[in-house]
Formats: sequence, structure tokens, C-alpha cells
Amino acid sequence: MRRAILLTVVVVTALLLQSTVLPNATLLGAKPELMYLLAISFGALEGPASGAIAGFVGGMAQDFLLNQPKGITALTLTLLGYAIGMLRQFIVSPSPLLPVFLVAGGTFSGILFYGVVTFLLGQMDTSWLYQLRVAALSGLYNALLTPIAFPILRRAVEGSRSQRVFRW
Amino acid sequence: MAMRTRARSTRLLVVALVSASLVTITIDYRQGDGGPLAAAGDAALTLISPLQEAVSKVTQPIGNFFSTLVRLPSIRRELEDAREQIAEFRAEFGEVRSGQMRLAELEAILGLQDSLGRRLETLAAEVIAYSVSNFEWTIGIDHGSSDGVEEDMAVIASGGLAGHVVRTGPSSSVVRLIIDPDSAVAGRLEGSGEPGLLVGDGDADLRMELVDADTDVMPDENVVTAGFRIPGVGPSLYPPNILIGTVSRVLSDEGALEKSITVRPAVDFSSLHVVLVVLSSGTG
Repeated sequence: MRRAILLTVVVVTALLLQSTVLPNATLLGAKPELMYLLAISFGALEGPASGAIAGFVGGMAQDFLLNQPKGITALTLTLLGYAIGMLRQFIVSPSPLLPVFLVAGGTFSGILFYGVVTFLLGQMDTSWLYQLRVAALSGLYNALLTPIAFPILRRAVEGSRSQRVFRW
Repeated sequence: MAMRTRARSTRLLVVALVSASLVTITIDYRQGDGGPLAAAGDAALTLISPLQEAVSKVTQPIGNFFSTLVRLPSIRRELEDAREQIAEFRAEFGEVRSGQMRLAELEAILGLQDSLGRRLETLAAEVIAYSVSNFEWTIGIDHGSSDGVEEDMAVIASGGLAGHVVRTGPSSSVVRLIIDPDSAVAGRLEGSGEPGLLVGDGDADLRMELVDADTDVMPDENVVTAGFRIPGVGPSLYPPNILIGTVSRVLSDEGALEKSITVRPAVDFSSLHVVLVVLSSGTG
């Protein structure tokens, strides 16, 4: 229950930031992709199941605010959260920079995957060059936000990990 | 053993979530704007827009600070341009011109503006949100169906045409900007009167398509809304004679059937704060 409330609060906050404040502070025209950052962080902190759930919920919430077939972001982020969670299990590096690299690489690959899905559905309106540019810039922007967002999310996740451990 | 069971249930969970996403995509794709998922989307808009309005009111000064910081070089350029323009205007006014002709010309322009102003009933709205995605160019405004805003209504901003309403909630709406790649506006070149279709290309200039290769196009020529429908490409949502932008580039390709023209929008979409929703069609 606590986890569900946490996820709702985090997703709504991220959506509000993404639609109000951050469009005014773009990096060479690109906004960060906070839902990608969220799915990757949950995957890295809590494992593949949590990453997939956070990705699905965040992605679906974002999809319902867009004017394109709903579910594409949810599909992308479910797989991204799961993949990062699986990858994290095989990395033993204690480096504090690891989340930054995971977020940068994850966002870049995730946006490209999203591009492929929209292309296959005939919904891609932009060029591949633009897609690549946004993937690189948003990946970089998300990576820059990680040192602020990741510790906050870690504290929130650990705080919500109470009496009962939620296992899948 | 427990590990293996957990891994299996995680896989099951992911398969279930991926399937749910695929089902959602399929249902939404098939049902378009009329299905239950579209209604759920409108409900999401209704729920989040009051929050967006509150947040954007509180954070606007912070946002303005950042956007000013980011736009400093272009602001400096605009200032220089404005100074140059002032100098040009001064020079123009200094010249002795045939007074009568100029007066008649100005009166004609003023009359046209007056008639346009009287015909169009508009509603001022504040911009409360932008698109959450990097692949969609929309804005959220603080007026909705309860204020008389309906889907497909044209939206103008200081400078010219901004876009049209694509979704409405009770007290908020979503406006698709003309720079969105899904947007297509029937426009015409002011000089030759030649019509064309202006298609959005994100942050790049608009592309003006379907213009005959023999048309004479001047750089910096104004492009205004044509106010009529081009069959098969989209509804005529926009009243005629609203400025869309100015021609920024013309490429003449020998043997091509149409001219390749790009148009710089008259509206600065990076700093939209207030827009006008056109409540009447303006054609009557």
C-alpha cells in the first residue's frame, strides 16, 4: 500500500515537473524524460519487478496525456525498468557514478526503442535524426538530474519498504 | 529454489504488463478519438490540469528565469534586430513620400484589421502546461468546454497563428501548435496569393508544400491562413488572413513539380504565456 502511494506521488510529481517547469529549461531544445529516469531508478534500486511496475504505471500515466495511441510509452518503460533491474543484478561495481551511467544509457536506448515502436505503428512524425538527437540530449539531461533525483528516490523507496517486503 | 520461483514470477509479471500495454495500444489504435480510452485520457486531463495550473502559477518566475537564461543570446539578437528596425523606420519616415497614396494604403490596412477584429470573437487564455513528450508540440490552456471552448477552434498568439484545440476538459484544453508534425494549415503567400499547405517540423521552420514550381516567392514574404479546406488533408479550422509566418528559405529545383519553401513562424513558441481562442469561425 505504501509503495502504491509512493509510486503515485512520484509519478504525478514527475508529470507536473515535466509539463510545467522543465519545458522552460531545455537542453539545446530537448526536455528531460523524467518517466524514463523513474523507471530506471526503480529498476536499479529495487530490481526488475519494481522497475517494470514503475515503468508501466509511469508510462501509462504519460500516455494518457498525449495525443497518440496510448500504451507505447508504457510498453517501452516496462521493458526498460525490467532490463535495468536485470542488468543491475550482474553489475557488482560500487561506483557512485553507476546510476548516472545506467540512466544515461537507459534513457538513450529507451527513446530509440520508443522511436522504433512508433515507426512500426506508422506514428512516427519526426525524422530519425531528430529521434537520435533527442535520445542523446535527453539521456545527457537525465544523467545530469540523476545526482539530485536518485538519492531522493532511494530515500523514498527505503522509507516505504516497511513491515512487509513485497516480493514477486 | 526460491530464487528461481521469484525469477519466474517476475517474468510472468513483465509478460502480463507488456501484454496489457499491447492490448491498450491496439484498442486505442482501433477506436481512435471516440473510444473509452480517449474518455479516460480526457479524465486524466481534467484531473491533472488544476494541478498544472497551480504549479505553473507558482513556478512561472523560476521558469521565466531559466528560459531567459537559455534565450539570452537570442534575446540579444532580437534587441539588435529591433534597434535596426527602429533605425529603418526612422529613415523611412524621414523620406518625403507621396502623402495621399500612403494615407489611403494605411487606411485600407486599418479597415481590414478592423473588419477582422469585429468578425472574430476571441477568448484570452493563459498557458498552464506544455507537452510531457519531446515528440509532441502542444500546450495546455486554462479554459475549457465550460467557457465555450470546443475542439478544432483556432488559437492565435501575439504575432500570429498558434494552433488549434485538440482536446477539451471542463476547465482546460490542449492546443496542438502549428509546429507539431501532425499539424497542417492551409496558407497562402501574401504576394502572389498562391496557396500551399504548411506542415510542422518541430523546432525547425514550417514546410510549405504543394506550391507550384512556377510561383514567384520572395524571401521574407508573409504567409497567411487561406481559410479554405484542402481536400483530404485536414479541416479548415482557421479564419482567413491570420499571419502564419514569413518565408525563410526557397529552394528551386529544376524539374521539380513543387517549390521547396520553409516558413519561419511569426509566433515565438518558446515563450508563450497568453493566447486567444477564436470562438467564432470568422468566415461568416
